[in-house]
Amino acid sequence: MDSALSQAEPPVVASALARRFGKVAALAGIDLSVATGERLGLVGPDGAGKSTLLQSLAALLDPSAGRCRVLGFDTVREAAQIQARIGYMAQGFTLYERLSVDENLAFSAGVRGVTGDTYRERRAALLAMAGLMPFTERRERELSGGMRKKLALCTNLIHRPPLLLLDEPGLGVDPLSRRELWQMLDDLRAQDVTVVLATSYMDEAERCDRVAFLDRGRLLALDTPAALRARAAGTTFAVTRAADAPPLPAALPGVRSIKHLPDRLRVQLDSGRNGAEAQRLLAPLGTVQAVEADLEDVFTLLAPPGEDAATAARPAHPIAAGPGGGGISTQELTRRYGAFSAVDAVSLDIPPGEIFGLLGANGAGKTTLIKLLCGLERPSAGSARVAGIAVDGARGALHRAVGYMSQRFSLYPDLSVAENLRFFASAQGLAGRRARAAIAAAAAESGLDAGDPRMAGALSGALRQRLALACAVLHRPRVLFLDEPTSGVDPLSRHRFWALIRNLAAAGMTVVVTTHYLEEAAFCQRLGLMQRGRLIASGTLAALRTQAELAADAGVEAIFLAHLGRAA
Amino acid sequence: MNARRIAAMLGKESREILRDPITLGVALAMPLIMLLLFGYAISLDVREAPLGVLDLDRSPLSRQLVRQFTDTEYFALAETYTDLGGVEEALRRGSVKLALVIPRGLARERQRREAPQMQILLDGTYSATANLLGGYARAIVAAADPAPPAIEVRTRVWYNPSLRSINDVVPGLFGVILMAFPPLLTALAIVREKESGSIQQVFVSPLSGPEFLIGKLLPYGLIAFLQIAMVMAVGFLWFQVPMAGSLSLLLAAGGVYVLCTVGLGLLVSTLTGSQLIAMLLALIITLMPSFLFSGFLFPIFTMPYALQLYTAIFPARYFIDLSRGVVLKGAALGDLWLNLLLLIAYTAAVFALAVWRFRKKVA
Repeated sequence: MDSALSQAEPPVVASALARRFGKVAALAGIDLSVATGERLGLVGPDGAGKSTLLQSLAALLDPSAGRCRVLGFDTVREAAQIQARIGYMAQGFTLYERLSVDENLAFSAGVRGVTGDTYRERRAALLAMAGLMPFTERRERELSGGMRKKLALCTNLIHRPPLLLLDEPGLGVDPLSRRELWQMLDDLRAQDVTVVLATSYMDEAERCDRVAFLDRGRLLALDTPAALRARAAGTTFAVTRAADAPPLPAALPGVRSIKHLPDRLRVQLDSGRNGAEAQRLLAPLGTVQAVEADLEDVFTLLAPPGEDAATAARPAHPIAAGPGGGGISTQELTRRYGAFSAVDAVSLDIPPGEIFGLLGANGAGKTTLIKLLCGLERPSAGSARVAGIAVDGARGALHRAVGYMSQRFSLYPDLSVAENLRFFASAQGLAGRRARAAIAAAAAESGLDAGDPRMAGALSGALRQRLALACAVLHRPRVLFLDEPTSGVDPLSRHRFWALIRNLAAAGMTVVVTTHYLEEAAFCQRLGLMQRGRLIASGTLAALRTQAELAADAGVEAIFLAHLGRAA
Repeated sequence: MNARRIAAMLGKESREILRDPITLGVALAMPLIMLLLFGYAISLDVREAPLGVLDLDRSPLSRQLVRQFTDTEYFALAETYTDLGGVEEALRRGSVKLALVIPRGLARERQRREAPQMQILLDGTYSATANLLGGYARAIVAAADPAPPAIEVRTRVWYNPSLRSINDVVPGLFGVILMAFPPLLTALAIVREKESGSIQQVFVSPLSGPEFLIGKLLPYGLIAFLQIAMVMAVGFLWFQVPMAGSLSLLLAAGGVYVLCTVGLGLLVSTLTGSQLIAMLLALIITLMPSFLFSGFLFPIFTMPYALQLYTAIFPARYFIDLSRGVVLKGAALGDLWLNLLLLIAYTAAVFALAVWRFRKKVA
């Protein structure tokens, strides 16, 4: 018996599916049916239940109530049947890092009984499709994030599964690799493979046949991207502010969210408000122009205002300028590891108070550049001054002048919010009244409750990220480095985080940020594109667009790819 | 059960082990280091204990008595005194473990066939040594007196006639070392996959729970078997522990015991998803009891009855009994079948429990 799947039964059917972890309902009353060959995207804020739903479908979790049928099998009684047939890619990197590309693939084939010529054929086809042919002998941990994800996808395709479950496949993957990953997924369409994937990238959701919006375990909406966008149609406007415009009021009735782009505001109103009313509401702010809604707006509209929205962040206190100014300037800055240049002759100037975005593929040298500028790595050649302090000079002064938030927020999960703040304050040499004042200020600027007794490990990703930010700015650094601060965080929380960054920059803090979310590039005043250790282009988004000779409406991805293509 | 899938699992597991030479090196070196440490450090034998003498008699007889003490390998003359105060101070300082006090007139009373008295003072702060030294001292004094006793007692020590403690430490160590490392290695090998998430990929595949466990068990069982073979080789060849019984019986029992210890590691791995907790659990349920409640250092028959029952929970005691029986007494299967049977039953129970606890679910 190959499959009990009858023609009539869809590959995925969930009915009244619920799953509790202790008191928390991770999933509640989910009714869902996915058709053969369909691609369904799961989106929703942190803790919405996306992973739980995927694990339930993979028969890795038994439902607390309701049931799931996958490929015609019951996930509780016939788990083995399901697990033998489907492909499932868990979040993060879950291959064997000590095994080579080939060995990982061979293991996956071996446990699935794919052998002999069939294996050789499929191996060649998959590795070619993933562009991994030249790296078959390389150990998994020596691959870039994008290659690791592509290999993981290959290991899950070796048995030609009719259903593929993918948990945040694009997480931690650079835009270029992500495009290749999606190319592989598009190739599967011809084979009628059903795909269910969780994502925090709205452009990935846009490429799905239908999108399911989850929030706190509930299914809020399930429709095609176009139909979802239609729900938010007419609620979004661009507002161009005059140079002498008065500051924005703290609260605007009827306004759902405001995105601050360098040259304009993007305003979303509550649904039901449109046309004339929008003009009346927004005209005092500047010149109003209606714009098309995207999936992110739908997200903002659907997600009920949670704990985050309630805590409005306070604008930051001005940052005292140091003796040498606050910006960054580097000349031919280089960091070599043996023959390999992780950072290769990077020259760049960032004035104080600017938000500078660093974009580039995994392994392009962004993190190494930031480590050099923080004094965590010694330059092999060249020089750099950060806030007027030479990076190869006195570390103490440099460390007092910079703040650094690493990719994996370096918080103590078993300490409470307050204890984390107190610890990082004391690590910065702050004590007594000065520590209390610094904690109060940093917490207010990050929209945190400084006395929050919850453990850092129990917070949502969005709150954890803000706590990490608060810890990084306790000592009021003049330059702040953020290394992929928004990775894996839902769009709404990403926005709120960017509002905090903007406040800090407005107060005079220079901010250098790396990101894989290309839409976030629009929040930066200037961008630097890195490839193989070199800074291949820098400037405003408009300038980069002109340099690449692209049309005025070209998106960030097109600009990014055009520059990488030119340099290659 | 599918042989192909198990083979894939075995191949993957052995490659991972071989690609991590540091862990493998530590796994093979640690038992040897432990054996050398214990082999040289744990000795219940007493050699050249410092002896203090207060000889108030100063006769040929008293001098001969002292010589008889110093002629043995057990005592070495450290200090002599002129009064009782000196003896007291030396014992308090700890510079001697045993002091002879020979009163004035010992030789004269002996000649008159009266029963003369002398005193032996012992430092009892470590009771085992004190007992041993007291026994030696009484034996030496008795030998110095040629008077025939009413009943002649001839004491012969069987199985370890030279009373070398290394001879019983080494066979005991087989049991302890195999409790110390294989469970830990096995538990970490599985929990590491839980922590990295790679186990989820294994769950969503046709590989069944028992197939996965066998794939983990065999390589680590093999490492454990290498450990026991190395420890035995060093024990017999370097420490010259005599082998009275059958090596193949010992190896066969060792094989069962290895499966048992690796199985305990599997069981621990089903209880937790954190490497740190797995390590602590392994220490608490395997290493500690194998030291304290296996009869390795502290004999079980002297324990309170409740604790004696408690020791029955831990498999180390069955194996250590068996191993000492084979190595020292030359016991055969006919004498030790109960221990072996208990070990086999124990191993089967551990596996049943591990397989039952191991489910292809993330929560």
